[in-house]
Amino acid sequence: MSMSPNYTPDDGDWICEACACPLEQQKVQVFYLESAFDVSLPACPRCKRILIPKSLAEGKMLEVEALLEDK
Amino acid sequence: MDQAKLREIEARCTQEAMPRCRARCPLRMDVRAFMEHMADGKLREARKVLELHLPVPEIMARICDHPCEDHCLRRDLGGSLAIGALEAFCIGNADKQSKSFPRAPKAVSIAVLGNGLAGLVVAFELSRKAYPVTIFHEGEAHGTLLQRFSSLAQEHVAREYEGLLKAGCTVTERVLDAALLEKARSGFTAVFVDADAAAGLFAGLGAAPDPATGFVTGNICAGGMLAQSPTGALYASSSKQASEGRRSAVTLERLVTGVSLTAERGAELTRETPLHTPLDGVMPKAPVLPQGDAYLPEEAMQEAARCIRCECLACVRECVYLQKYGGYPRTYARQIYNNASIVKGGHLANALINGCMLCGQCTELCPERFSMAELCLSARQDMVTRGYMPASAHEFALEDMESANSETCALFMGDPGGKKTVYAFFPGCQLAASRGEQVLATYEFLHDALPSGEGVGLFLSCCGVPAHWAGSEEKFQSGLARIRAEWERAGRPTLIMACASCLKTFGEAAPGIPTVSLWAMLDGHLMDMPTKPAEKTYCIHDPCAARHDEAWQKAVRSLAAKCGVSLEEPRRTGMETACCGYGGLMWNAQPELAAVAARHKADALDKPALASCIMCRDRLVASGKECLHLLDILPFSKTDDGSKAALAAPPGLSARRANRAALAGRVRVTYLGGTALSVTYRVTMAPELLVELERKHILREDVERSVLAIEAAGARFCERRSGHYVGSWRPRRVTFWVRYSANADGTYVLHDAWCHRMTVPDAGRPGSLP
Ligand code: SF4
Ligand code: SF4
Ligand code: SF4
Ligand SMILES: [Zn+2]
Repeated sequence: MSMSPNYTPDDGDWICEACACPLEQQKVQVFYLESAFDVSLPACPRCKRILIPKSLAEGKMLEVEALLEDK
Repeated sequence: MDQAKLREIEARCTQEAMPRCRARCPLRMDVRAFMEHMADGKLREARKVLELHLPVPEIMARICDHPCEDHCLRRDLGGSLAIGALEAFCIGNADKQSKSFPRAPKAVSIAVLGNGLAGLVVAFELSRKAYPVTIFHEGEAHGTLLQRFSSLAQEHVAREYEGLLKAGCTVTERVLDAALLEKARSGFTAVFVDADAAAGLFAGLGAAPDPATGFVTGNICAGGMLAQSPTGALYASSSKQASEGRRSAVTLERLVTGVSLTAERGAELTRETPLHTPLDGVMPKAPVLPQGDAYLPEEAMQEAARCIRCECLACVRECVYLQKYGGYPRTYARQIYNNASIVKGGHLANALINGCMLCGQCTELCPERFSMAELCLSARQDMVTRGYMPASAHEFALEDMESANSETCALFMGDPGGKKTVYAFFPGCQLAASRGEQVLATYEFLHDALPSGEGVGLFLSCCGVPAHWAGSEEKFQSGLARIRAEWERAGRPTLIMACASCLKTFGEAAPGIPTVSLWAMLDGHLMDMPTKPAEKTYCIHDPCAARHDEAWQKAVRSLAAKCGVSLEEPRRTGMETACCGYGGLMWNAQPELAAVAARHKADALDKPALASCIMCRDRLVASGKECLHLLDILPFSKTDDGSKAALAAPPGLSARRANRAALAGRVRVTYLGGTALSVTYRVTMAPELLVELERKHILREDVERSVLAIEAAGARFCERRSGHYVGSWRPRRVTFWVRYSANADGTYVLHDAWCHRMTVPDAGRPGSLP
């Protein structure tokens, strides 16, 4: 099982409002059950807060969740 | 579940049992498969089936005395299939299909004394397994069979002899006398005596062969005796002789390999079959007879097409869930067993286990009372215990249950006039969620109609069955304990139940609590009035949870009649009713299949429907069916415009929760001196968006709290062109994401929302649980 690594925002030009920073792709780990995946996601370079695009949540993430639940 | 238990469960499903034709065929010919190919005009495929099951097929297919035909299930529906004639047609019209591969002969030797049918079958069976066989015969080799079976031609017999020689048999002419037997007995590893072609030798054996194995003594087997007709005449039954040959071949092989002659052979002589074939809808069809001497291809196809293809599937025919996974209970039992035995690797049957509505219809339809519900429920309990239950299967439904049992939505109120609470109305969480008004109207009616000495309370709560369905016995039992405590505190009133699932649940899991269905209560004495002339006709839909509750079913019908409604019974009704897709939490675990179940149910009802369970009603309407709930026609709770009510859209998941809270709020205000709570939302959204979100199990409440949490933490991203904000919130094992705009007055407009279960550090921080 793998999650292809790079997910950018579904649209537009995003900033972190509190830090007034444009989001940048950043390497992070996502977890489910006993598995972890390295992915690159849009994040605020200052406060590190991460954005999960809808297409990722309802696409690959959902698929991997289902696979892991049945493992 | 252990292997033994699995076997026992599997054995209850007869789907894999033989059709009657096959059970009656001493050679176990797969007639059903043969007929299927024949009906499709696939002669070569059909011949493959013949070659697989019949020994010396060129001979056997032409001379079989077909004892199967007398027992064909078609017999009383137009007439038995012409099984024998079609086999003969096939063998005569399709070329040989199987190929033999020469194999190194085994280091033993078998003698066959006499070349009758049984002898040839022994030679055929054993030479195919590379046992060197010598056939001893008297006179011209082909003559024995040609004389015995007049319908055979020289070429057919010749073809099988050719095959035997190719397979390594030796054919030797000898006088079949005692000296030969003596020589064979000592010179060969094992010996077969053909009772028909070597009748003299057979008579001299002194002992009769064992009917099950053909074993006589030492290294000798025998078979091929003549059969006796009811009038006492002796004749050669080809199927009997051939099967004796086959049984002896098995025994001879066991003799030379030193295996027990009798172990695991019980089924060889069985003629009965447990297979149950539902015949509803099967029309009688007269046999198709050949116009000339023999079948023409077209005629043969038509005759074969009369085969009913006997099989059971009585349960599968009615259940959309059983249909979905392409098998039947027997195969499902095995899959479920394997699922539980897997340590690592895919749990392929999780969906199978969590898909069943636990409705029990299969058990009613199954002649052996196979229960998929029991199987799936115990598998769920096992998964929960071992921590393998996927969160997505039931978690949302269990949250809904918790919400229904929260302080905001649940309450117990004793008789408001201070009388002893003899009864308490228990509407159930779904009636409360869908029909708050009618719950109150019913409560008031009960309160006024019951004798003045008998106080009536109100109990708003979920019965806890979702936890039971989810396999969470612990949660279920603790829920019941809470209910029991309330009930005891209230002075042990009899609960008047409006939901069939609640009623069944209490009956099974809390037998000490006295219950009665609302309908039986009303029909019994509170609404003691005559039947009205019928003004409307509806199709009744019984809830699956009430399939064994005759009192419920009777009261519903009687109340409808008292309200001027005549009812039509659908094909599967009462005890056999199908589930609407709510049962077993199918609506949560497999919403698409649950929608199919509702539509399947709706399609079986010819008229607008009348339901006595609110989930049935709401799900049928969601599937496009006109459906009323019984409360819609009762005088005290009736909706003014029946036809509109029958189509009124049921509330969505968010509204159901809000409605429960609102109902409890109204009870508190009306009877308990509480103050009205008003719920205001700061986040608004288009109704279509909410419908879409609810499909993803995102509720209005989740969205509201997400936005407020994000705003409070000032943790939002902004898309600069649209000015939309996005942020996330993880209140439990789900992270919610919301995309919204802010209005100047402190309200918000939601544009979209999504969620996931995976955890991502640094996402969903505001308000996230430690
Ligand atoms: S009804 Fe279903 S479970 Fe019962 S024997 Fe038939 S196929 Fe098997
Ligand atoms: S109808 Fe077909 S399957 Fe059934 S007993 Fe007759 S031949 Fe066999
Ligand atoms: S959904 Fe009902 S009829 Fe279908 S398998 Fe489950 S219990 Fe049986
Ligand atoms: Zn930031």
